Amino acid sequence: MKASYEKINYNIRAAKCIERKMLCESFRRLSVFGKIESYNYVGFGSTYFSDFSFFHKSLDIRNMISIEKDENNKDRFEFNRPFRCIKMEYGSSNEILQKLNWDARTILWLDYDGRLNQEVLLDINSFCTKVTPGSLIIISVNAEPGKELGTRFQKLRDAVGHKKIPEGTREKDLLKWGTAKVFRAIIYNEIMQILNGRNGVRSQGNKLCYRQLFNFNYSDGAKMLTTGGIIYDEGQRPLFDRCSFRDLLYIREEDEAYHIEIPNLTFKEIRYLDEQLPRKQGQTLTISGVRQADINKYEKVYRYFPAFTEANL
Amino acid sequence: MSVIDESFTIKASPTKELFIYMMTRDIPLIRAILDLVDNSVDGATRLQPGGDYSTFWVRIECTEEHFAISDNCGGIPISTARDYAFRFGRPKDMELTPGSIGKFGVGMKRSFFKLGNKFTVKSTTSTSKFVVEHYVREWLEKPEDWHFKFKVKNESLKNVPEQKIGTQILIEELFESVSKSFGLGNFRKELCDEIETAHAVVMAKGLAISFNGRPLGKRTLSLYKSDQLKPAFIEKRYENIGPAVVKVQIYAGISDRDFEKGGWYIFCNGRMVLEADQTDITTWGGSNTTPKYHPDFAFFRGYVFFDSEDAELLPWTTTKTGIDSDSGLYKNVKLEMITLMRPVLDFLRKLAKERADVEKGDIDKSLLEESVKKAESTNYLDLKDKGAFITPKFDPIPRGPRTGRIQYNKPVDDIKKLKKILGVTTYTAVGEKTFDYFMRMECEE
Repeated sequence: MKASYEKINYNIRAAKCIERKMLCESFRRLSVFGKIESYNYVGFGSTYFSDFSFFHKSLDIRNMISIEKDENNKDRFEFNRPFRCIKMEYGSSNEILQKLNWDARTILWLDYDGRLNQEVLLDINSFCTKVTPGSLIIISVNAEPGKELGTRFQKLRDAVGHKKIPEGTREKDLLKWGTAKVFRAIIYNEIMQILNGRNGVRSQGNKLCYRQLFNFNYSDGAKMLTTGGIIYDEGQRPLFDRCSFRDLLYIREEDEAYHIEIPNLTFKEIRYLDEQLPRKQGQTLTISGVRQADINKYEKVYRYFPAFTEANL
Repeated sequence: MSVIDESFTIKASPTKELFIYMMTRDIPLIRAILDLVDNSVDGATRLQPGGDYSTFWVRIECTEEHFAISDNCGGIPISTARDYAFRFGRPKDMELTPGSIGKFGVGMKRSFFKLGNKFTVKSTTSTSKFVVEHYVREWLEKPEDWHFKFKVKNESLKNVPEQKIGTQILIEELFESVSKSFGLGNFRKELCDEIETAHAVVMAKGLAISFNGRPLGKRTLSLYKSDQLKPAFIEKRYENIGPAVVKVQIYAGISDRDFEKGGWYIFCNGRMVLEADQTDITTWGGSNTTPKYHPDFAFFRGYVFFDSEDAELLPWTTTKTGIDSDSGLYKNVKLEMITLMRPVLDFLRKLAKERADVEKGDIDKSLLEESVKKAESTNYLDLKDKGAFITPKFDPIPRGPRTGRIQYNKPVDDIKKLKKILGVTTYTAVGEKTFDYFMRMECEE
């Protein structure tokens, strides 16, 4: 089977690109906890390193580690590494995440090609067991409901183990975006369970908290879920409040997801709409012949919308 | 209401029967006996906290007629006997034995009630001596009187010779089921095993325990160690969870492959409370996000030692047969256990895979297996290096092209014909030559 980097050019997946920009914008707010440049970034760069390039350029993060499981093509990854500050770690994420040092504040983006399974939960476990308060964890998984009707629940149970499935989950809860919803709940529980374990010996006022910030749903061919948030110490609550994450429209602290939708527009239409954005109060945007739904979708994401020239050339 | 009206009182005081029933129902016979051994060990700990136990002994006698345990571990002072030792539950003001394993003040009485109708306790300290002798059935017949009575009591002894100091407990008129169990050789064997494992730590420090005249053996807790292969070992101190510090030591690594013995061993103040655990109470499967125990992991051993001056802070259950998995301390330690265990399991998976590859003939030898064979079994007390599990690093062994096996049946006459044409004598050669011929003629470019 081909690795997904051989099938998809990550740079031109529009929803992913929007998501990346939204994440980046929210990362800036972490500067209340500590200079954003001082954060570590750990992710899966693949051969494109799109997230690495973008976060380095936008945020000047320099301590970057890309985990790559394909140990047989080291030369290719080294060649494609866009900046000197990106360090490669070869091996499965299960192995590498256990070994890394998490003493510094970190942004970890576990951007998987596959679905939620035991390995994903193990990675979450490795990080949350050691994570320093003020760090972010983000997990992306494919959340397309299984194709074979009547076996979705069974497959979920096989993938994560029955003790991980939220109470009351049924086959019918896994339809459409239901799978993403259940995955999010499992990830949330996993993080909370580990923090509960760590909190067992932490004194009142020093307990670790997890606040979900992201719950993105989008379709790039398959339905995708990106969820995650910040881990901080109770004493840092004022810092968290000062980040005002909630002011960002796509922040989702609950199980209701933010859907990233890509409007179907031409460049000329986009340019025309851009000229009138941000919209004056009371004004309505219309283009004759263009569906209003597309225009509304565009308004929600225009600041993050990729232009073709943004493809890494 | 100024006058106390008896008719308004609702009786809520417990009956002795209920008390005994509740106390004894949940404890297996073997554990009840272990509780009595624990009392002796506590006596020794009181005299030699944390140190050398080599001058102490505990003797156990177990027949169909009686059960007896005696020790030279200091004896019980009269005041302790009068105010605490025979009471149900431990009063709040009682001074604790630092590092003790008797925790809830139920152990000794519970054991008496579990075993038989008559118990006699004789104890001598350097300054006092007492004897308590009691029949449980008679005691039950007096519902209002909960007290026991001294039969002999002397609080002003002088120059008591050292060999007289200690405690002797005798239980007679054993209950029928208890007596029957004691008569069974395999029960007695199991009891010895349990004592050996439960007290492996103090026995390693010199305490001599004998059973029906035979000294019990020492169990060593060991892990494989070599230059390339090192067990994980960490030590943590928890200072904020109670009035005393809790020290936790965790070892994880590999040892002899044994499905029954693989797993976690947990000790509280030296007393084993969980032996070879392979369930989600420790780190296996369930809600732990870890794999279930499996034959490939039969090499795994983990030892966890919780130690504290204040036994109440340790995460054990009243029967000392398990761990209180809701304890905040235990939940935290469990995360550490998982962190230490995972690299060991990764290693064991690779090892299993290499062994399988050797069996299939894909590779000649397993370097990992050789590294395991080269390692030496080492007592945990001799493992001083702290850190994560260290495994040998090898470049993957190059594999030859993968092969498959083809088998089919054809008419014998046809095969004979081919043998002649190919000039070969075996069926195998016919198969191989015809395959090679097809490859050459149809597949080569």
